[in-house]
Amino acid sequence: MRKLLLLALISLFVVVGFSASIPKDTVVIGMNTGIFISFDPAVCYEVEPSVLVMNIYSDLFKLQEINGTIQAIPELAESYDISQDGKIWTFHIRKGVTFANGNPLNADAVVYSIKRVLKLGKSPVWLFESLGLNSKNMDDTVKKIDDYTVQVTLDKPYAANIVMSIFAESWGGIVDPKIAQSHDVSGDMGSTYLADHSAGAGPYILKSWQRNNMIVLVANENYWRGAPKIKTIIIRDMPESTNQQLSLKRGDIDIAWNLTPEQINSLKGDPNFNVVSVPSQSNEYLAVNAGWGPFKDVRVRQAVKYAIDYNSIIQNIVGGYAIKVQGFIPYGYLGYVSNVPFDQNIAKAKQLLADAGYANGFEVELVTNTTERRRNEAIAIQADLAKIGIKANITIMQAAQMYKKMREQGIQMIVAGWGIDFPDPDALAKPFADYRVKQLAWRMMWYDNHAADLAEAAGFELDQSKRVEMYKDLTNYWFENGPFAILYQPLSYWGTRSELKGFDQTAKGYSLSFDLTKMYK
Amino acid sequence: MKLGNYIIKRSLLMLLVMFGVVAIVFAIVHVIPADPVGALLGGNAPPAVVDRMKEQLGLNKPLFIQFIDYIWGVIHGNLGNSIQSGRPVVQDIMEYFPVTLQLSIVAIFISIILGIFLGIFSAVYRNKWIDHFSRIFSILGVSMPVFWTGLILLLVFYYILGWLPGTGQLSLFVIPPERITGMILVDSLLTGNWEAFWNGLRHIILPAAVLGYAATASIARITRASMLDVLTQDYIRTAKAKGMSKKVVIYRHALKNALIPVVTIIGLTFGGLLEGAVLTETVFGLPGLGRYIVNALLNLDYPAIMGGTLFIALIYSLVNLSVDLIYAMLDPRMRA
Repeated sequence: MRKLLLLALISLFVVVGFSASIPKDTVVIGMNTGIFISFDPAVCYEVEPSVLVMNIYSDLFKLQEINGTIQAIPELAESYDISQDGKIWTFHIRKGVTFANGNPLNADAVVYSIKRVLKLGKSPVWLFESLGLNSKNMDDTVKKIDDYTVQVTLDKPYAANIVMSIFAESWGGIVDPKIAQSHDVSGDMGSTYLADHSAGAGPYILKSWQRNNMIVLVANENYWRGAPKIKTIIIRDMPESTNQQLSLKRGDIDIAWNLTPEQINSLKGDPNFNVVSVPSQSNEYLAVNAGWGPFKDVRVRQAVKYAIDYNSIIQNIVGGYAIKVQGFIPYGYLGYVSNVPFDQNIAKAKQLLADAGYANGFEVELVTNTTERRRNEAIAIQADLAKIGIKANITIMQAAQMYKKMREQGIQMIVAGWGIDFPDPDALAKPFADYRVKQLAWRMMWYDNHAADLAEAAGFELDQSKRVEMYKDLTNYWFENGPFAILYQPLSYWGTRSELKGFDQTAKGYSLSFDLTKMYK
Repeated sequence: MKLGNYIIKRSLLMLLVMFGVVAIVFAIVHVIPADPVGALLGGNAPPAVVDRMKEQLGLNKPLFIQFIDYIWGVIHGNLGNSIQSGRPVVQDIMEYFPVTLQLSIVAIFISIILGIFLGIFSAVYRNKWIDHFSRIFSILGVSMPVFWTGLILLLVFYYILGWLPGTGQLSLFVIPPERITGMILVDSLLTGNWEAFWNGLRHIILPAAVLGYAATASIARITRASMLDVLTQDYIRTAKAKGMSKKVVIYRHALKNALIPVVTIIGLTFGGLLEGAVLTETVFGLPGLGRYIVNALLNLDYPAIMGGTLFIALIYSLVNLSVDLIYAMLDPRMRA
């Protein structure tokens, strides 16, 4: 009798199905959402939540890939004027746009949203501050002219693309002041509420977020460009990539977000799946401290660049999911330089070392963080450097620990990456070449005034073609003298089920632009 | 009266333990030469922004002051706000803990049943193949990483056979029960949401089996040893001599007495499960406290790390205390 009961119970488990198929107007994504902090545009700064915020809020400008280049195009700012001196921007706001709940989107909302970012002072605030806007001067610099006109006064005449790009990102999302203020808790301008609710005019509404579990977006039927085809997007937290792979194959999710190169390659050739990959908005680099020992000599820096086997790293460590780029400006950017001057040349590298007086090499500490890919890169570089007599001792640390050490200029050699903050060469030239902004060049003690001047001047050049030339000059100078070797530009990739169409269009420009309205079934 | 004294004594000791936990964890997280603000802002932010954020979060104060502030907060039931989410740590814990608790309860059930039966069989059939098998089986449970067992079970029961669902607590289109305790199974029972109950039960089988299996060995081993001990006692021989059936001798006479030490190990195991759920929660995508603490560690979220650890330590001590109390009631010699 007992055995019978047991048998009945087991068969019940087997019979009662669980996998209801995903409806046509719904897309389910499997993703590791462990790093998600908030969906408030003034707080959110991490890559994955940011691309969702971009689909929940509308901005003054929008980033789009046009002919292979990511550019900012007018969105809620139907048009704009720039004053003669290049400092005063006047935005003319599109009329008739409403937030998802029907409230009007006007100059008040735009002014409120910009000031809100400045006042809250959270992670993304420094991007607005880099234009000279801050919480002290905001009443003078961010002004409403009439119901549909906003004027912003910058401290310097920045190139138009810089300004538009910064206003086109997740932190530039226009927030409904009525919703935000009605949920104000002790002056937080609705920030606690907006962490897991939305108040935007984008194509989707954040319906719910159960942390470490599930995020549900539903279509904004009032979206001013027309409601999107996919009505519900569900993001399930799946920290384990193997799990994403299994779920994708079983048809429980449409998109697997965090697959490894091996897992993604296992989908290739199967008609049930597509692999979508796009150039990532980041750089993977090796840097040496130009203020430390042997690296003070430019010839030693060059020797390191000639010692690395770039092709092997791209093929064997990243499984080919990378573009061979060596300038600091990645593929798809204004000023991109396609030539790759460095290939492994051990003889030349040895000669350079000998010329610098280090024929017998030296010992150096090579730091990187805990991800498997970085560790493998460090090991490959260690082997390459050994060939020219440099003994690199690898130290692995948590990213936060590594960046702290780097900020204190305490690193001799490092393998790391740079995620691009906005799609303009300025977002790369400054960190990689201008030590005065106290980012990468400063952290690696490369105090080169010529490079810094060039990078700064290019940021203020209003003539586009002149600007491109300036970046080319800078890149060539930087190849010769800089303390950086760009290893590659990574590709971002996803596995999708073949029923899902248009995801390649959605992902174009990831992570700076990501348009969920482009996908359909 | 004596029992009352015992409880008071133990509770005071527990307070001391809690203080020790806070102090040690505080020291450890602050000794790491890393920077939570750097973790929050990522690698790009310029130094001025980092400094200002530190000030905002009060991380520029001297360590001793930070510690005093923290202790003062804890005394008032305030574990501070998470650096990452900005939410009160207490709120986070209340959200995540029920998931871990439910998982651990189901897992401990599995390991008690499995462990006790394996232990009894091992003892009764000492050094026969059943004994060897059950010992190997339970040792395998401890030796195989939970991570790996989890993935293999998923591969077999979810991907290949399709008998059980993959990850999460509920299937996508099942309406979750109204939140009362935060434990899906309990809440769906309370609200009479049978679909959610059934679905949730199917979802918890794999993770609980993985976690429970890993904890089986210690229970099986103690049961075996204790059973062997009891089975050689005179009264068992007497019972056998009286012509009682084997079943009655084993289950009625021997097991009852053999279980006393097992209670202790179950208590300890349960505490261990609460903290050991980390990997299981990651593999099965469960929004539990273990995963919360791991995320906090990776991001150096000091208040979340300390709050989470303190809470787990508290639960562990409470479980221990209750085990000791049960013991004390069973065996008055313990109160001395």
